[in-house]
Amino acid sequence: MPTPIITKDLCKGCELCVHACPEGVLEMSKEINAKGYFFPVVAHPEKCTGCRFCLLVCPDTAVQVEAKGKTTVRTEGLTPKPFHYCPGCTHGVIHRLVGECIEELGIRERTVGVAPVGCSVLAYDYFNCDMSQASHGRAMAVATGIKRGRPNLVVFSYQGDGDLASIGMAETVHAANRGEKITVIFVNNAIYGMTGGQMAPTTLPGQVASTCPLGRDVNHAGWPIRVVELLQSLRTPAYLSRVAVHDPKNILAAKRAIRKAFKYQIDGVCFSLIEVVSTCPTGWGQQPHEACEWLEQNMIPYYPLGDVKLPEAAA
Amino acid sequence: MAKKLMKGCEAIGEAAIHAGCRLFFGYPITPQNEIPEYMSARLPQVGGVFLQAESEVAASNMLYGAAGAGCRVFTSSSSPGISLMAEAISYIAGAELPVVIVNIMRGGPGLGGILPSQSDYFQATKGGGHGDYRVLVLAPSTVQEAADLTQDAFDLADHYRNPVMVVGDGLIGQMMEPVEFKRSISPEELPAKPWATTGCSDRKPNIINSLFLNPEELEAHNWHLHRKYQDMAREIRWESWKLEEPVDVLIVAYGTVARICKTAIDTLRARGVKVGLFRPISLFPYPSEQLSQAVEKAGKVLVTELSTGQMLEDVQAIVAGRKPVSFYGRVGGMVMSPEEIEREVDKLVAS
Ligand SMILES: Cc1ncc(C[n+]2csc(CCOP(=O)(O)OP(=O)(O)O)c2C)c(N)n1
Ligand code: SF4
Ligand code: SF4
Ligand SMILES: [Mg+2]
Repeated sequence: MPTPIITKDLCKGCELCVHACPEGVLEMSKEINAKGYFFPVVAHPEKCTGCRFCLLVCPDTAVQVEAKGKTTVRTEGLTPKPFHYCPGCTHGVIHRLVGECIEELGIRERTVGVAPVGCSVLAYDYFNCDMSQASHGRAMAVATGIKRGRPNLVVFSYQGDGDLASIGMAETVHAANRGEKITVIFVNNAIYGMTGGQMAPTTLPGQVASTCPLGRDVNHAGWPIRVVELLQSLRTPAYLSRVAVHDPKNILAAKRAIRKAFKYQIDGVCFSLIEVVSTCPTGWGQQPHEACEWLEQNMIPYYPLGDVKLPEAAA
Repeated sequence: MAKKLMKGCEAIGEAAIHAGCRLFFGYPITPQNEIPEYMSARLPQVGGVFLQAESEVAASNMLYGAAGAGCRVFTSSSSPGISLMAEAISYIAGAELPVVIVNIMRGGPGLGGILPSQSDYFQATKGGGHGDYRVLVLAPSTVQEAADLTQDAFDLADHYRNPVMVVGDGLIGQMMEPVEFKRSISPEELPAKPWATTGCSDRKPNIINSLFLNPEELEAHNWHLHRKYQDMAREIRWESWKLEEPVDVLIVAYGTVARICKTAIDTLRARGVKVGLFRPISLFPYPSEQLSQAVEKAGKVLVTELSTGQMLEDVQAIVAGRKPVSFYGRVGGMVMSPEEIEREVDKLVAS
């Protein structure tokens, strides 16, 4: 019988797994863990179908599932270090997806990642491969330097929306236009998480942020930038796709896109960039599961999901 | 190897190749365009990569990435471009990466002009970007020396894991002189860099980083860097010219200005004026002790630069009131003639 296994001390009590479980297997505990959070307990093990939804949505790799005698383990693509992200922050989910792709593609020993400045500045502690930290916005220039110097390496950057689409926009457009054979993981959470919730180039019209307390006024600040559509207009072949990580189905699709993006690089085909529509429960002032709903209702209509450009199409 | 007539900029580019450098990232700016142009033609011939970046900001961060991946890499620019690189140079110093940066200085501030200048002395020798860091700064005064120092710069950068800057001006960049490349090394012969991001197939992952959130760790890192900068004292380079006997006037000048001073000194000496030259070649670390000793045997000191008085401040601190220090500067791309130097020396001797 399949069973969720909770590593309770990794848990930050975000309750995303409880909300994701279609069968009501999990409930939150009455006691707290070492970090001071309530954690899920397997209240109705008999109802578990082994769908792994709890595992997929957990941002802190605190849930594993035992099914058919096999237990999932934290991917080798990640170090054992627990993430520092806020409870329910989808940075953790995206880290896991990238780590899993690195492991499954067998490229860990020849991969170099570039961490941005933003909430994921410490990403170099989490990816279990060689890593380089970069200054704010310059990750793609750093990745270019690595890849041009050592073309046999698999090079990826992991960047937030402020990092990639504001201060680093020139580096973004030109890396894409040169067709650098790198893979970019672009975390669009519509806000500057790290510095305390200021307006990002991707903040939605009317969305409140600490530097637009009355909501983004498009007459004053312009419209949010749709990065993949912007890059799509470049003539250079690329793989550009937009995915989301607010529910299990989309998380699985996100992983497929990230994997494909790495594959294009491994095969020497093109530049690839995956825009991951994400949540920032802290910056948005919402509970993690509310943030996932807000994402679905507000972000997806403005940031439509799916492949935006395939290298084959540009030939 | 036979001597070859080359422009300063081309000699710098060729020297980098002889130093085993196969990567150049840069952005066009006058008066140093001959360096990227030369590299764009030469590097592909030796299996290297030349990439024109979208800006100096990007170019310097490409340097950071490539240096972090263990490659010898260099860039060249001129004053406004170096200002844009200041952020990356700070990160490169913080992450302790070896890179070589050439600054063919032009007049400023702002867009300034394109003619020769030494007005980036403070920027080069005192850090330039944010944080407590230094780069090793070398100032050639001939094309041969530009080639030699560029080659040395790569070794010094690797040894100290620190940026090394070669500063010149439009005169040295454009001037044609015979040059000889005294040694040559291929990238394969260079020592391994076990700390670099080359892929973690036989070891734990390497991390290139300048972030230390723990203040105690950051303090320790800063003192570690400080000790490294002090160790660089071993690399001090200078030239004493006609200073065997005591002099009435000691001229202190570097780079192309020192050449002009030598011409003036020849004329002055022919007239019986006792004058000599102290030429710092490493501007950081500065040859303070050596200058201090030369000052002991001099009546007066004359500092002359293509600035309104930047190196002057260092010389004043070294002289420390022992002898009168006067200054003669030209700026904005205007360059002093030997006659102007003679006139300044004559004034000092007469006063
Ligand atoms: C040159 C520079 N400017 C500003 C900052 C401050 N800063 C740090 S992170 C950040 C925004 C990060 O937002 P984003 O890229 O969206 O990442 P998130 O935290 O949302 O994941 C800013 C402005 C900096 N570190 N460096
Ligand atoms: S999703 Fe993970 S972190 Fe959130 S409550 Fe469940 S186990 Fe804990
Ligand atoms: S501030 Fe937002 S993006 Fe940053 S860790 Fe917290 S939830 Fe995640
Ligand atoms: Mg953000």
